[in-house]
Amino acid sequence: MQVSNTIKTTGMTPNVSKAVTSQSPSGSGAQNNARISIGHFALVGVQLLLVLVLLRQFQIEGKAFVELAAYSFAGFAVHAFLPLRWRLPFFALLSLGSIALVLGAANAAWIITIGAALVGICHLPVSVRLRTLLLLAAGGLLMAQRAAWLPIPWSEAIWPVLGSMFMFRLIGYYYDLRHDKAPVTAAQSIGYFAMLPNVTFPLFPVIDFKTYRRSHYAGDAYAGYQKGIDWIVRGVVHLILYRVFYYHLTLSPSEVVAPADLVQFLVANFMLYLRVSGLFHLVVGLLHLFGFQLPETHNRYLLASSFTDFWRRINIYWKDFMQKIFYFPAVFALKRLGTTRAVIIATMYVFVLTWFLHSYQWFWLRGSWLFTLQDMLFWAVLGVLVVLNSLYEIKYGRRRSLGAQVFSLSDFAVTVAKTYATFWFICVLWSFWTSESVSDWWLLWSALGGPFTLKVLLFPMLALVIIVVGSLPSSQPGASRNPQAALKLLRRERLATVAILAALLTISVEAVHTQLGSQVATTVHSLRSAHLSRLDNAKLERGYYEGLLDVGRFNSQLWEVYAKKPTNWLAADFTGLKRFTGDFVQTELIPSAVSESQYGPITTNRHGLRDQAYADARPANTWRVAVLGPSNVMGWGVPDGGTFEALLEIQLNKTPLGSGHQRFELLNFGVPGYQPPQQMMNFDRAQRLQANVVLYVATGRELTRSAVYLAEVMNKRLAIPYPALQAIVDKAGVTPGMDENEAHKRLQPLAEEILKVVYQDIAERGRLAGMRLVWAFLPQVRNGSWQEETPDALRAAKAAGFHTINLEDIYQGHPIEKTRLAEWDDHPSAFAHRLIAERLYRELSLQADQLFGPIRP
Amino acid sequence: MTDAIKQDIKDYIMGEFLPGESPDELTDSTPLISGGILDSIATLKLVMYLEEKYRVSFEPHEVDKENLDTLDLVTALVTSKLS
Repeated sequence: MQVSNTIKTTGMTPNVSKAVTSQSPSGSGAQNNARISIGHFALVGVQLLLVLVLLRQFQIEGKAFVELAAYSFAGFAVHAFLPLRWRLPFFALLSLGSIALVLGAANAAWIITIGAALVGICHLPVSVRLRTLLLLAAGGLLMAQRAAWLPIPWSEAIWPVLGSMFMFRLIGYYYDLRHDKAPVTAAQSIGYFAMLPNVTFPLFPVIDFKTYRRSHYAGDAYAGYQKGIDWIVRGVVHLILYRVFYYHLTLSPSEVVAPADLVQFLVANFMLYLRVSGLFHLVVGLLHLFGFQLPETHNRYLLASSFTDFWRRINIYWKDFMQKIFYFPAVFALKRLGTTRAVIIATMYVFVLTWFLHSYQWFWLRGSWLFTLQDMLFWAVLGVLVVLNSLYEIKYGRRRSLGAQVFSLSDFAVTVAKTYATFWFICVLWSFWTSESVSDWWLLWSALGGPFTLKVLLFPMLALVIIVVGSLPSSQPGASRNPQAALKLLRRERLATVAILAALLTISVEAVHTQLGSQVATTVHSLRSAHLSRLDNAKLERGYYEGLLDVGRFNSQLWEVYAKKPTNWLAADFTGLKRFTGDFVQTELIPSAVSESQYGPITTNRHGLRDQAYADARPANTWRVAVLGPSNVMGWGVPDGGTFEALLEIQLNKTPLGSGHQRFELLNFGVPGYQPPQQMMNFDRAQRLQANVVLYVATGRELTRSAVYLAEVMNKRLAIPYPALQAIVDKAGVTPGMDENEAHKRLQPLAEEILKVVYQDIAERGRLAGMRLVWAFLPQVRNGSWQEETPDALRAAKAAGFHTINLEDIYQGHPIEKTRLAEWDDHPSAFAHRLIAERLYRELSLQADQLFGPIRP
Repeated sequence: MTDAIKQDIKDYIMGEFLPGESPDELTDSTPLISGGILDSIATLKLVMYLEEKYRVSFEPHEVDKENLDTLDLVTALVTSKLS
């Protein structure tokens, strides 16, 4: 059977491919290429309109990108009919405008000013050595500012964008300035760095300056535009598939308890990379609309049949950047050692640099360095594997073909087997890279001891089918060289693009997907919205409670949220407010401390409460209410007097409730990061201060947080002073010093039992002391899985004898931007605290007779 | 001379990287790098061969698509170095 094989597609039509190597952008070839007929323009325009609706329907990359896409498409309509010499300047202006559109005029002005200074240094008429030194000095200064060692006069919001525009592209630009003789115009430079749509994508492909210049209308305009739309749609498909994995299939390490879970974890973890490949397709597709007929960024990387093949197919721009700037110069410098040795050393050098530059990228985007053992080992292992593969290829060569090739079943089977093995090896390596610690990763494999079910075959079978189908020979022979074949391919791809667009748009319509059953409708509905996954929400929650932002990988979407977080967010760090106790509760607020934040002062009284001064003894005829809870009770992000506890106290004293005491003292026992078991010790303090009412504020996922806390305590070998809790720990087989994840896995099934002990302990001791007991559920400002444990917690609180108040709908009808502190900080805002105080007052008034009725002797 | 150099380069590429393929398929404008025939290792092998055979030397920045993507381009680069 005669079938085609295997000149790799370059992503360009033949005339484009040819022209890239033979025509300058300003030549007559480019002039001819740049024209487009009205008919073709209409075809492109209709597809772009559909793409825009698709982006909106699926909220692809959020509102900012959808707006930017509309802005870009409108710009394209003008750009396509401008004389060629005006197009690059127009693109440059459009790109500058996009920065102002997304970040505002002031931030845009700073980015342009800093960028102009950096590019200006590259063009200074001084020696190369001096220019290089000046560039390094400027980079060093900016790094010191990024690390917050030096003050900055601009907003921190510009860092990820500024970093993304210059951290790598400036290196390539400077390199090409030195070696490429073609003069550089201002429009080329501006367009290259400000490049639309970089402002919305901090993770941006490292586009080569020389390729960017040479590819401008290097081929037929219409073919380039169509290719751009094809890639944008392909990018959207990647991003929707990414959401399938991100929302529905990713597991946390503690959820991996059986072989099927392990397989799902490995695959889903690797498939999160679809986001990067999707974004890069969107970016390069969009650039095609402005004449930049760039090569593809990823080439079917799931079908890599060896490690070198994987390195060549995944993030091709990065591979090309490293090859050009570091690999070839290293090989040339070392070639006296012989080709083989030079290749080995240069390859390892490239992988060491890739590891370092990954951290360097993290630094610019996040403001901190990312040096972890997993990172080092990942790049080291991948580097060694690529070296071994390269040595094999040097010795035995690699199979290449120029055209049609006889199909051989045995060759096909070998390719499938190699691809399948490479896929699984990469999945395992990827899981190691993205794990939070080596011990966490190692612990994953204990799941192999769990029960084997048929489900374990699901992903291996699916992967096999995809690899077999993907490895089948293409039915479009010679498309990269034959104009007729290329035209046929263009038409076929256009048809596929329109079909995908139509299918996705149809399924996105609510009236359609609700006809396909509730499960399909729910899934489609979830894929249509951009939000954090269940696991990222949990990480955000952990950051929220612990003040830790453990988001150390690009595979979690959460890093983008935290990238916007100013380095000295709230200025008043937990470190200045808390001290270590060395016992079960671990930390407490420092008494009589004052700290400043941009939201106002945070002051603690002599009892270590974030509150005004109170006497040790409860005054006569007074309800002294101990409000127990974590940071949202303490009032993180609101000034003294702005917490719901303080506002409620004012209201209660203004209009007292119940027929008992007419005076109220609310004592704020909120401590940032406190989990339910810690409230048992917090309650001891409330008793010492003679509280006669306890208001326990539960804030979501009470069960899991209780189990996680006991796991942490056991890992730290702290004594548990509550026999009932210790009994549960013993029952779970958790021992002192046990790995936290392992301990959590064992304790999670007993989480409800733990919480019941916590509530019952507080309630029983409270009843013995004659206290009134109130439990209130206060939800997080962000919807989602936070509340999935609330019914269980509510039941446990009722069973323990608390009067319960459920505030689960308190934020409904209020935009999240109003109720939270910031995108990266979900603590309630001052507005939200007022809402809580008002609502609590109303809820308490409904139970006033029971709660604040006369005191019986 | 140019034709001889081109034929030599073609022979080297056919023998080293495309054994068993028809020489007629490798035209003067067949994309070598962007077409996947020359990856980084193959490109280096070709460059080393040319340096040794023609006693010319290449700079690292010359090893790219612009100079080496077709037989025509490779030949032109070698010829320019010889002249």
